[in-house]
Amino acid sequence: MTADLKVRPPGRAVSAAPPLRRSRVAPPWWFVLPALLLFAFVVLVPSARGVYYAFTDWDGLDPDFAFIGLRNFIDILDDGDALQAVWHTLLIAVAVTVIQNGIGLLLALGVNSMIKTRNFLRVLLFAPAVITPIVTAYLWRNLLGPDGAVNSLLGTVGLNSWQQDWLGDPDLALWMVVLVVVWQFSGYSMVIFLAGLQSIPREIYEAAAIDGTAPVRRFWSIVRPLLAPAITINLMLSIIGGIKLFDQVYALTGGGPGHATDTISTLIYKDAFTLGDFGYSIALAVVLTVIVAVVSAGQFTVLNRNEKAAS
Amino acid sequence: MKARRFAAVVSALTAVSLAAACSSGTNASGDDMKTLTLASVDQGSIEDVVKAFEAANPGVKVNFTTSGADQYQAQIRTQLSSGTAPDVMTVWPGNGNPGATFVLSKPGYLLDLSDQPWASKLPESFKQVAQYEGKTYNALFGLNGIGAVYNDEALSKSGLKAPTTWTDLMSFCRDAASKGTPAYALGIQDNWVTQLVLYALAATVVFGQDKDFNTKLAAGQTTFAGSAWTQAMAKYTEMNTAGCFQKNPLGTSYEASQTLAATGKTLGIIQGNWVIGLLKGKNPNGTFTMTALPATDDPATFLVPAAAGAGYGVNAKAKNKELALKFITYVMSPEGMKLFNEKQGSLPTLPEAGTIVDPGLKQLTTFVAENKTVPFPDQLWPNAKVQQTMLSGLQEVFSNQATADDVLKDMDTEYKKGE
Repeated sequence: MTADLKVRPPGRAVSAAPPLRRSRVAPPWWFVLPALLLFAFVVLVPSARGVYYAFTDWDGLDPDFAFIGLRNFIDILDDGDALQAVWHTLLIAVAVTVIQNGIGLLLALGVNSMIKTRNFLRVLLFAPAVITPIVTAYLWRNLLGPDGAVNSLLGTVGLNSWQQDWLGDPDLALWMVVLVVVWQFSGYSMVIFLAGLQSIPREIYEAAAIDGTAPVRRFWSIVRPLLAPAITINLMLSIIGGIKLFDQVYALTGGGPGHATDTISTLIYKDAFTLGDFGYSIALAVVLTVIVAVVSAGQFTVLNRNEKAAS
Repeated sequence: MKARRFAAVVSALTAVSLAAACSSGTNASGDDMKTLTLASVDQGSIEDVVKAFEAANPGVKVNFTTSGADQYQAQIRTQLSSGTAPDVMTVWPGNGNPGATFVLSKPGYLLDLSDQPWASKLPESFKQVAQYEGKTYNALFGLNGIGAVYNDEALSKSGLKAPTTWTDLMSFCRDAASKGTPAYALGIQDNWVTQLVLYALAATVVFGQDKDFNTKLAAGQTTFAGSAWTQAMAKYTEMNTAGCFQKNPLGTSYEASQTLAATGKTLGIIQGNWVIGLLKGKNPNGTFTMTALPATDDPATFLVPAAAGAGYGVNAKAKNKELALKFITYVMSPEGMKLFNEKQGSLPTLPEAGTIVDPGLKQLTTFVAENKTVPFPDQLWPNAKVQQTMLSGLQEVFSNQATADDVLKDMDTEYKKGE
């Protein structure tokens, strides 16, 4: 670095130049080969081979199976349960994404302030995220039972009319799934937002405060754009997590009552392992993959553009 | 970049945990001829059977795993198709679920057990579901029935008497509900439980009228919709409206329903006989009695759903066939059968086992002895989807998302799709 500095012609920007020059040297393409081969061997090839079965009537057991073309995919379009599951999946994904990130951001702003217990609160709020989802789901299944803690609490404070069969009512069950996911992962979003908030230099806030900006304006014009990378990550993670949701649904309701909370993932599981209809189940999995790919690519493009525009 | 690295770490962790989960199966290693591998769903009873088998065969070691039915079915199918299945495994009787005799023996995964001495001794109703194309594949050791199981103490405290006719049952339900202790606990959050009351009603209502209903169904001469199944469904709904069950059955799990019945918050529960052991686990001082669920006003016509529980099959590619057969022989011997059934609270499939049956099961034993039983209907349905359609359909009926007729029609549609 010092040697560099000595030969540098005077008057040029010192700090930005070296990394720029370095990045212009493209690494040889074959550097990527070892990683790519491993990825191909462990992920791409098995996945591609799996996709093949989506075009067969394989039952997961019998080595004799037939190639049936697009039959499974046509059946999906014809299957009320599957279409309903797609709807549930998107509904959960959107609801979780909006609510979880909203709460996560508010929590992050809260624990980023100077309140005394902020470190304790950070740990406390993040704690649910380190528990296995299946465990939290079983906990909530007990809390939300007809004689569970939630109804008992409502009864104790005299709100008997608010008592519900939370998981047994098809109109409520799906929202209980959302509640459990949000409860568990809001702290996770919070941590990512918090990291973003802490990287914003204190001086900018102070300058804005001296200029007399209102807190809302300060948030919208300073914090939001500088938080853009954290927002991108959080939205991506929560929407993909929401679309793939399985554990919580399976443990809370098993997809029931009836099919009221079935998501694409629970249907994939049921079709493969309860019904032995592997071909159909894999076809559903392909559909899920396409949905995840399209949604996350779209989201990434939009958010990335915003991020660039903001910075 | 951070997101991507995070995703990579997550996927790596997932892959590792999946691999760990999948490899929890059995692996024979070391002294192969003395080691038997076994996978079972009989948690709570297989442990003692294995211990007794090892004691009877010094030097023999049984490596076994147990798991719940759902997980087990997934595991065993993966292991069978990849050639890593254990020597002996739980196999369900008949057809209609992914781990059933017909399903596993059709592609040739199970060893033919027809030449075993017990195979010819099995009563006809069990042979039907232990065999595929005339060959025996399943060592069925236990028999289970479905009926109303009463908490004796709660019942006598209520001053009510267990009903013996349908009319009785209706007033029993109303009286019990008005006293604040509903008649029966119902935990249909776990969807397999939904079928039990229906089966208990259908035994008399459907098969009492026509013992050959299943044969006719298979021949396409009748359907679920429009048959006596409609009446069975109607009676189930009628029981619900009469207040036979506690509030919010859809939010109540199987586990929670046991607690209700065991602790006297309901007078009883409509379940399989296996529940008696579980109720005693929750209330060691309690006594429980099982009777047929009255579905008509003529007790002489009552039938009880009673069928073989899951048995054991031998892997056609077992590493240690000899030892596997030895284990099967032990399970089907009077000694093994007695041990297994007493632990499970089930009845033996062979008469000479000398099993000591729980006193609460006296009536079931009589029904079996008098041949007044019908197999669980699903054991002879052509695919697993029929039963699953019924299970989720019944949940929909209870939550007003569907009518009983919708469900029966959907079952017909799935039935007609065949194997």
